Amino acid sequence: MSQKEDFSELQKLLRLKRLETPGQEYFNRFVDAFHTYQRREILQEEPWYAKVVEVLFEPWVAGVPRLATVAASAACLVAGVAFFLGPIQSGTAQLADGKVSHPRGIVVAAAQTNASLELQPELIETAAGGEEIQDRPLYVNGHNALAYDSRLTF
Amino acid sequence: MPAEVALPSDLENGPTDEELVASTVKGDLGAYDELIRRFQGRLYGVIYHLTSNHEDTNDLLMEVFDKAYRSLPTFRGQSSFYTWIYRIAINRSFNFLDKRKRRQGAMSLNELDEDGLPKLDLPDVSPQNDPNKSLMLNELQNKLNESMLKLSKEHRTVVTLFDIQGLAHAEIAKIMGCTEGTVRSRLHYAHKQLQKSLGIYLKK
Repeated sequence: MSQKEDFSELQKLLRLKRLETPGQEYFNRFVDAFHTYQRREILQEEPWYAKVVEVLFEPWVAGVPRLATVAASAACLVAGVAFFLGPIQSGTAQLADGKVSHPRGIVVAAAQTNASLELQPELIETAAGGEEIQDRPLYVNGHNALAYDSRLTF
Repeated sequence: MPAEVALPSDLENGPTDEELVASTVKGDLGAYDELIRRFQGRLYGVIYHLTSNHEDTNDLLMEVFDKAYRSLPTFRGQSSFYTWIYRIAINRSFNFLDKRKRRQGAMSLNELDEDGLPKLDLPDVSPQNDPNKSLMLNELQNKLNESMLKLSKEHRTVVTLFDIQGLAHAEIAKIMGCTEGTVRSRLHYAHKQLQKSLGIYLKK
Protein backbone atom coordinates (compact mmCIF):
# COMPACT_ATOMS: atom_id res chain seq x y z
CA MET A 1 0.00 0.00 0.00
CA SER A 2 1.46 3.29 -1.02
CA GLN A 3 -0.56 5.43 1.39
CA LYS A 4 2.24 5.59 3.97
CA GLU A 5 4.78 6.37 1.26
CA ASP A 6 2.69 9.36 0.28
CA PHE A 7 3.07 10.83 3.74
CA SER A 8 6.72 9.99 4.29
CA GLU A 9 7.91 13.52 3.51
CA LEU A 10 5.31 14.96 5.81
CA GLN A 11 6.36 12.57 8.57
CA LYS A 12 9.98 13.68 8.18
CA LEU A 13 8.81 17.25 8.58
CA LEU A 14 6.77 16.40 11.66
CA ARG A 15 9.85 14.86 13.26
CA LEU A 16 11.29 18.38 13.36
CA LYS A 17 8.92 19.02 16.22
CA ARG A 18 10.92 16.67 18.40
CA LEU A 19 13.48 19.46 18.63
CA GLU A 20 10.98 21.68 20.41
CA THR A 21 11.97 20.80 23.97
CA PRO A 22 12.90 23.15 26.78
CA GLY A 23 16.30 21.49 27.25
CA GLN A 24 17.84 19.12 29.76
CA GLU A 25 18.34 21.84 32.39
CA TYR A 26 14.57 22.25 32.65
CA PHE A 27 14.06 18.53 33.23
CA ASN A 28 16.90 18.38 35.78
CA ARG A 29 15.09 20.95 37.87
CA PHE A 30 11.57 19.71 37.26
CA VAL A 31 11.26 17.37 40.25
CA ASP A 32 12.27 20.16 42.67
CA ALA A 33 9.90 22.57 40.95
CA PHE A 34 7.14 19.98 41.28
CA HIS A 35 7.74 19.61 45.03
CA THR A 36 7.45 23.38 45.42
CA TYR A 37 4.25 23.34 43.36
CA GLN A 38 2.76 20.54 45.47
CA ARG A 39 3.51 22.33 48.75
CA ARG A 40 1.90 25.49 47.41
CA GLU A 41 -1.16 23.55 46.23
CA ILE A 42 -1.59 21.95 49.64
CA LEU A 43 -1.43 25.35 51.34
CA GLN A 44 -3.87 26.89 48.89
CA GLU A 45 -6.42 24.05 48.83
CA GLU A 46 -9.63 25.50 47.38
CA PRO A 47 -12.92 25.12 49.25
CA TRP A 48 -15.50 22.82 47.61
CA TYR A 49 -17.66 25.68 46.40
CA ALA A 50 -14.81 27.26 44.45
CA LYS A 51 -15.36 24.75 41.65
CA VAL A 52 -19.06 25.62 41.50
CA VAL A 53 -18.25 29.32 41.32
CA GLU A 54 -15.69 28.65 38.61
CA VAL A 55 -18.17 26.67 36.51
CA LEU A 56 -20.83 29.33 36.92
CA PHE A 57 -18.76 32.45 36.47
CA GLU A 58 -15.69 31.44 34.49
CA PRO A 59 -17.27 32.38 31.15
CA TRP A 60 -18.09 35.83 32.52
CA VAL A 61 -14.62 36.36 33.89
CA ALA A 62 -13.34 35.53 30.43
CA GLY A 63 -15.76 38.07 29.00
CA VAL A 64 -17.84 35.55 27.07
CA PRO A 65 -21.30 35.10 28.60
CA ARG A 66 -22.52 31.55 27.99
CA LEU A 67 -26.23 31.31 27.23
CA ALA A 68 -26.82 28.34 29.51
CA THR A 69 -25.11 30.08 32.41
CA VAL A 70 -27.02 33.30 31.86
CA ALA A 71 -30.34 31.45 31.60
CA ALA A 72 -29.65 29.33 34.69
CA SER A 73 -28.58 32.37 36.71
CA ALA A 74 -31.67 34.33 35.65
CA ALA A 75 -33.93 31.39 36.60
CA CYS A 76 -32.23 31.11 40.03
CA LEU A 77 -32.65 34.84 40.57
CA VAL A 78 -36.36 34.76 39.71
CA ALA A 79 -36.92 31.69 41.91
CA GLY A 80 -35.06 33.35 44.79
CA VAL A 81 -37.07 36.57 44.55
CA ALA A 82 -40.33 34.62 44.35
CA PHE A 83 -39.37 32.55 47.40
CA PHE A 84 -38.55 35.56 49.56
CA LEU A 85 -41.48 37.70 48.54
CA GLY A 86 -44.05 34.91 48.87
CA PRO A 87 -47.20 34.60 46.77
CA ILE A 88 -48.40 37.90 45.43
CA GLN A 89 -52.19 37.80 45.78
CA SER A 90 -54.94 40.11 46.74
CA GLY A 91 -56.06 40.24 50.38
CA THR A 92 -59.04 38.58 51.99
CA ALA A 93 -62.52 38.28 50.48
CA GLN A 94 -65.82 37.76 52.21
CA LEU A 95 -67.53 34.47 51.29
CA ALA A 96 -71.29 33.94 51.11
CA ASP A 97 -71.40 31.68 54.20
CA GLY A 98 -69.78 34.29 56.40
CA LYS A 99 -66.28 32.79 56.18
CA VAL A 100 -63.38 34.80 54.88
CA SER A 101 -61.23 33.61 52.02
CA HIS A 102 -57.58 34.38 52.70
CA PRO A 103 -54.61 33.54 50.43
CA ARG A 104 -53.32 31.15 53.09
CA GLY A 105 -56.55 29.43 53.94
CA ILE A 106 -60.23 29.85 54.71
CA VAL A 107 -60.91 31.84 57.85
CA VAL A 108 -63.89 30.31 59.56
CA ALA A 109 -65.02 33.42 61.41
CA ALA A 110 -63.94 36.92 60.67
CA ALA A 111 -63.95 39.93 62.93
CA GLN A 112 -66.87 42.05 61.85
CA THR A 113 -66.88 44.48 64.69
CA ASN A 114 -64.79 45.35 67.67
CA ALA A 115 -67.36 43.56 69.82
CA SER A 116 -66.36 40.24 68.39
CA LEU A 117 -62.85 40.76 69.66
CA GLU A 118 -64.02 40.11 73.21
CA LEU A 119 -61.90 37.65 75.15
CA GLN A 120 -63.03 34.09 75.72
CA PRO A 121 -62.29 32.29 79.03
CA GLU A 122 -60.01 29.25 78.69
CA LEU A 123 -58.98 26.50 81.12
CA ILE A 124 -55.18 26.20 81.26
CA GLU A 125 -52.62 24.29 83.32
CA THR A 126 -50.62 26.34 85.80
CA ALA A 127 -46.91 25.99 86.53
CA ALA A 128 -47.75 24.54 89.96
CA GLY A 129 -49.62 21.65 88.29
CA GLY A 130 -53.13 22.95 88.96
CA GLU A 131 -55.68 24.43 86.61
CA GLU A 132 -57.16 27.88 86.30
CA ILE A 133 -59.33 29.87 83.95
CA GLN A 134 -57.69 32.63 81.95
CA ASP A 135 -58.95 34.97 79.26
CA ARG A 136 -57.19 34.43 75.95
CA PRO A 137 -57.87 36.03 72.57
CA LEU A 138 -58.88 33.62 69.83
CA TYR A 139 -57.52 35.56 66.89
CA VAL A 140 -54.36 33.99 65.71
CA ASN A 141 -52.45 35.76 63.06
CA GLY A 142 -53.18 39.38 62.62
CA HIS A 143 -55.61 38.81 59.75
CA ASN A 144 -58.54 39.84 61.94
CA ALA A 145 -59.57 36.20 62.27
CA LEU A 146 -61.18 35.06 65.49
CA ALA A 147 -60.96 31.39 64.64
CA TYR A 148 -59.68 29.41 61.76
CA ASP A 149 -59.85 26.00 60.28
CA SER A 150 -57.00 24.19 62.01
CA ARG A 151 -56.47 21.88 59.06
CA LEU A 152 -55.14 24.81 57.10
CA THR A 153 -51.77 26.05 58.09
CA PHE A 154 -50.82 29.69 57.96
CA MET B 1 6.66 3.78 9.63
CA PRO B 2 7.07 5.92 12.71
CA ALA B 3 10.61 7.11 13.02
CA GLU B 4 11.11 5.90 16.54
CA VAL B 5 9.56 3.06 18.38
CA ALA B 6 8.13 4.11 21.72
CA LEU B 7 10.45 3.56 24.64
CA PRO B 8 9.30 0.99 27.15
CA SER B 9 8.28 2.81 30.25
CA ASP B 10 10.41 0.68 32.55
CA LEU B 11 14.13 1.14 32.65
CA GLU B 12 16.31 -1.82 31.70
CA ASN B 13 17.69 -2.20 35.20
CA GLY B 14 15.60 -1.08 38.07
CA PRO B 15 12.10 -1.32 39.41
CA THR B 16 9.17 -1.43 37.00
CA ASP B 17 6.63 1.37 36.89
CA GLU B 18 4.18 -0.79 38.80
CA GLU B 19 6.75 -1.47 41.55
CA LEU B 20 7.39 2.25 41.83
CA VAL B 21 3.65 2.89 42.03
CA ALA B 22 3.34 0.34 44.85
CA SER B 23 6.25 1.94 46.74
CA THR B 24 4.72 5.40 46.30
CA VAL B 25 1.38 4.26 47.68
CA LYS B 26 3.23 2.85 50.71
CA GLY B 27 4.71 6.32 51.30
CA ASP B 28 8.05 6.22 49.47
CA LEU B 29 8.11 9.68 47.90
CA GLY B 30 11.44 8.98 46.21
CA ALA B 31 9.67 6.33 44.13
CA TYR B 32 7.28 8.93 42.77
CA ASP B 33 10.20 11.24 41.93
CA GLU B 34 11.59 8.37 39.87
CA LEU B 35 8.28 8.00 38.03
CA ILE B 36 8.32 11.73 37.31
CA ARG B 37 11.83 11.47 35.86
CA ARG B 38 10.74 8.58 33.65
CA PHE B 39 7.72 10.34 32.19
CA GLN B 40 8.41 14.07 32.34
CA GLY B 41 9.98 14.30 28.88
CA ARG B 42 7.33 12.31 27.05
CA LEU B 43 4.41 13.94 28.82
CA TYR B 44 5.94 17.35 28.26
CA GLY B 45 6.06 16.51 24.54
CA VAL B 46 2.42 15.41 24.39
CA ILE B 47 1.13 18.46 26.21
CA TYR B 48 3.36 20.88 24.36
CA HIS B 49 2.40 19.56 20.91
CA LEU B 50 -1.25 19.95 21.89
CA THR B 51 -0.97 23.45 23.35
CA SER B 52 2.03 24.92 21.45
CA ASN B 53 2.93 26.98 24.49
CA HIS B 54 5.76 26.21 26.91
CA GLU B 55 4.37 28.13 29.88
CA ASP B 56 1.00 26.40 29.64
CA THR B 57 2.76 23.07 29.18
CA ASN B 58 4.79 23.59 32.34
CA ASP B 59 1.65 24.41 34.36
CA LEU B 60 -0.28 21.47 32.93
CA LEU B 61 2.59 19.05 33.50
CA MET B 62 2.69 20.01 37.19
CA GLU B 63 -1.09 19.52 37.38
CA VAL B 64 -0.85 16.12 35.71
CA PHE B 65 1.77 14.78 38.12
CA ASP B 66 -0.13 16.26 41.07
CA LYS B 67 -3.42 14.75 39.94
CA ALA B 68 -1.76 11.37 39.29
CA TYR B 69 -0.12 11.44 42.74
CA ARG B 70 -3.44 12.14 44.47
CA SER B 71 -5.20 9.47 42.43
CA LEU B 72 -2.57 6.75 42.87
CA PRO B 73 -4.43 5.03 45.74
CA THR B 74 -7.35 4.49 43.34
CA PHE B 75 -5.12 3.23 40.51
CA ARG B 76 -6.19 -0.41 40.16
CA GLY B 77 -3.65 -1.46 37.59
CA GLN B 78 -6.30 -2.38 35.01
CA SER B 79 -4.15 -0.52 32.50
CA SER B 80 -0.43 0.15 32.76
CA PHE B 81 0.71 3.21 34.67
CA TYR B 82 2.12 4.44 31.38
CA THR B 83 -1.29 4.39 29.65
CA TRP B 84 -3.01 5.79 32.73
CA ILE B 85 -0.79 8.85 33.14
CA TYR B 86 -0.84 9.56 29.41
CA ARG B 87 -4.61 9.55 29.60
CA ILE B 88 -4.56 12.05 32.47
CA ALA B 89 -2.21 14.29 30.50
CA ILE B 90 -4.40 14.19 27.40
CA ASN B 91 -7.64 14.79 29.32
CA ARG B 92 -6.12 17.74 31.17
CA SER B 93 -4.80 19.17 27.91
CA PHE B 94 -8.20 18.76 26.25
CA ASN B 95 -9.91 20.59 29.13
CA PHE B 96 -7.34 23.34 28.87
CA LEU B 97 -7.82 23.61 25.10
CA ASP B 98 -11.60 23.85 25.50
CA LYS B 99 -11.20 26.65 28.03
CA ARG B 100 -8.69 28.42 25.80
CA LYS B 101 -11.06 28.16 22.86
CA ARG B 102 -13.83 29.80 24.90
CA ARG B 103 -11.45 32.52 26.01
CA GLN B 104 -10.19 33.24 22.51
CA GLY B 105 -13.09 35.60 21.88
CA ALA B 106 -11.83 37.66 24.80
CA MET B 107 -8.15 37.52 23.82
CA SER B 108 -6.48 40.77 22.84
CA LEU B 109 -5.12 41.11 19.33
CA ASN B 110 -1.62 40.99 20.77
CA GLU B 111 -2.23 37.44 21.90
CA LEU B 112 -3.44 36.22 18.50
CA ASP B 113 -1.65 35.78 15.22
CA GLU B 114 -2.94 36.91 11.84
CA ASP B 115 -5.04 33.71 11.50
CA GLY B 116 -6.76 34.32 14.82
CA LEU B 117 -4.88 31.46 16.49
CA PRO B 118 -3.04 31.90 19.80
CA LYS B 119 0.49 33.11 19.19
CA LEU B 120 3.01 30.31 19.33
CA ASP B 121 5.80 30.10 21.80
CA LEU B 122 8.57 28.38 19.90
CA PRO B 123 12.09 27.58 21.06
CA ASP B 124 14.93 28.47 18.73
CA VAL B 125 15.94 25.23 17.01
CA SER B 126 17.72 26.85 14.09
CA PRO B 127 21.47 26.66 13.43
CA GLN B 128 23.12 29.82 14.71
CA ASN B 129 25.82 30.02 12.04
CA ASP B 130 23.59 30.26 8.97
CA PRO B 131 21.09 33.13 9.13
CA ASN B 132 19.29 32.13 5.90
CA LYS B 133 18.82 28.56 6.97
CA SER B 134 17.78 29.77 10.38
CA LEU B 135 15.13 32.04 8.88
CA MET B 136 13.75 29.27 6.69
CA LEU B 137 13.67 26.80 9.53
CA ASN B 138 11.84 29.26 11.77
CA GLU B 139 9.28 29.92 9.06
CA LEU B 140 8.82 26.21 8.54
CA GLN B 141 8.46 25.64 12.25
CA ASN B 142 5.83 28.37 12.47
CA LYS B 143 3.91 26.99 9.52
CA LEU B 144 4.09 23.48 10.93
CA ASN B 145 2.68 24.58 14.29
CA GLU B 146 -0.02 26.68 12.70
CA SER B 147 -1.10 23.69 10.63
CA MET B 148 -1.12 21.48 13.72
CA LEU B 149 -3.26 23.98 15.62
CA LYS B 150 -5.81 23.97 12.83
CA LEU B 151 -6.41 20.24 13.37
CA SER B 152 -8.99 19.13 15.93
CA LYS B 153 -7.55 18.15 19.27
CA GLU B 154 -8.19 14.45 18.60
CA HIS B 155 -6.38 14.58 15.25
CA ARG B 156 -3.53 16.57 16.76
CA THR B 157 -3.20 13.98 19.50
CA VAL B 158 -2.83 11.04 17.13
CA VAL B 159 -0.27 12.92 15.04
CA THR B 160 1.65 13.79 18.20
CA LEU B 161 1.60 10.27 19.58
CA PHE B 162 2.31 8.52 16.28
CA ASP B 163 4.52 10.79 14.21
CA ILE B 164 6.31 12.75 16.90
CA GLN B 165 6.44 10.35 19.82
CA GLY B 166 6.51 7.17 17.78
CA LEU B 167 3.87 5.18 19.65
CA ALA B 168 2.20 2.21 17.97
CA HIS B 169 -1.42 2.31 16.85
CA ALA B 170 -2.44 -0.17 19.56
CA GLU B 171 -0.88 1.93 22.32
CA ILE B 172 -2.53 5.10 21.02
CA ALA B 173 -5.87 3.29 20.92
CA LYS B 174 -5.48 2.27 24.58
CA ILE B 175 -4.51 5.78 25.64
CA MET B 176 -7.33 7.45 23.75
CA GLY B 177 -9.90 4.81 24.60
CA CYS B 178 -10.84 4.03 20.99
CA THR B 179 -10.22 1.30 18.46
CA GLU B 180 -7.10 0.94 16.36
CA GLY B 181 -9.28 1.53 13.31
CA THR B 182 -10.31 4.91 14.67
CA VAL B 183 -6.67 5.79 15.31
CA ARG B 184 -5.71 4.86 11.75
CA SER B 185 -8.59 6.79 10.24
CA ARG B 186 -7.87 9.89 12.34
CA LEU B 187 -4.23 9.66 11.40
CA HIS B 188 -5.01 9.37 7.72
CA TYR B 189 -7.34 12.36 7.82
CA ALA B 190 -4.82 14.43 9.80
CA HIS B 191 -2.01 13.55 7.37
CA LYS B 192 -4.16 14.62 4.44
CA GLN B 193 -4.99 17.93 6.10
CA LEU B 194 -1.36 18.60 6.99
CA GLN B 195 -0.18 17.60 3.54
CA LYS B 196 -2.62 20.10 2.07
CA SER B 197 -1.47 23.01 4.23
CA LEU B 198 2.25 22.16 4.16
CA GLY B 199 2.41 21.03 0.53
CA ILE B 200 4.82 23.75 -0.60
CA TYR B 201 7.39 22.64 1.96
CA LEU B 202 7.30 18.99 0.93
CA LYS B 203 9.34 17.37 -1.81
CA LYS B 204 7.18 16.05 -4.63
